[in-house]
Amino acid sequence: MKKIEYKGLKFLYIVLFCYIILFFIDTNNTLISLKTFLNILSTLVPIFIFIILLTTLTNYYLKPKDIIKHFGEDSGNKGIIYAVLAGIISHGPMYAWYGLISELRNKGAKDELLIIFFYARAIKIPMLPFMIGIFGIPFTIIITIYILLFAIIQGKLFSKLYKL
Amino acid sequence: MKKKQEEQITLKIAFKKALNNFLSMTPMLLGVIGLVSIMQTYITPEILSHLFGYGITTDIFTGTFIGAISSGNPAVSYIISDQLLNQEVTLYAVSAFILAWVTLGIVQLPAELSVFGLKFTFYKNILTLFATMLVAYFTVLTLQVI
Repeated sequence: MKKIEYKGLKFLYIVLFCYIILFFIDTNNTLISLKTFLNILSTLVPIFIFIILLTTLTNYYLKPKDIIKHFGEDSGNKGIIYAVLAGIISHGPMYAWYGLISELRNKGAKDELLIIFFYARAIKIPMLPFMIGIFGIPFTIIITIYILLFAIIQGKLFSKLYKL
Repeated sequence: MKKKQEEQITLKIAFKKALNNFLSMTPMLLGVIGLVSIMQTYITPEILSHLFGYGITTDIFTGTFIGAISSGNPAVSYIISDQLLNQEVTLYAVSAFILAWVTLGIVQLPAELSVFGLKFTFYKNILTLFATMLVAYFTVLTLQVI
């Protein structure tokens, strides 16, 4: 079996070191941070399982040629629509999606669409009632439209800047 | 039967690949979650409210920066925003804050760098930074016009 190449080990050691230092300086808050850490981790476990299953299905059903067709250079406006929809329906924190997105990128998905996906994630359908409750319907509608617009603009600008 | 067996093997390989891909990211994910937990403990809404009230542009910039260094469930950002609005922080700042909370992430930058590389990460975050400030500005402006 191929050996796993772990990413971000140095970063994890730095964070661990911060916790050790903080423990001696401010024990109470360090313990609160650790409790928060476990809470966040427990809420993320179902999302991680979902992402592993989604990646499995992507690996199984989507071959590089399919990804290129839907998310590649010639995907056109359909690709933009897919990227926006994928962004809107994706749950959990952004960093949880890095593995899957990186894999799609390696298989030929267009960077422009990945940028659109990342920004469209600002629209959280399950959170909309909550947002409406605090900010009102007009604010929620307007900000959602602008997010969609700027997600597409960002994608277009990114592909131009990236070529420089 | 043979075809089914082949499909099963392929699915098994697909799962193994997905699992390995995820496992390779676990140190990075744990690091980000660890950092987010420290931030959530030390940065309170009271601390945040003292940083606003210096004009639209500065407030948007501050809102974006604070949203970018914070992280967690978007619902938490809405609750904090509600408290900030009650403390008369402008809607410009709060809009930038809730947007930056979900689109930017300073704590996850090292992870992003290790996965996507410097050039991708740099352009993505610069564009997202400007987009967030502009969306916040235009949203409130449009709201005032209509």
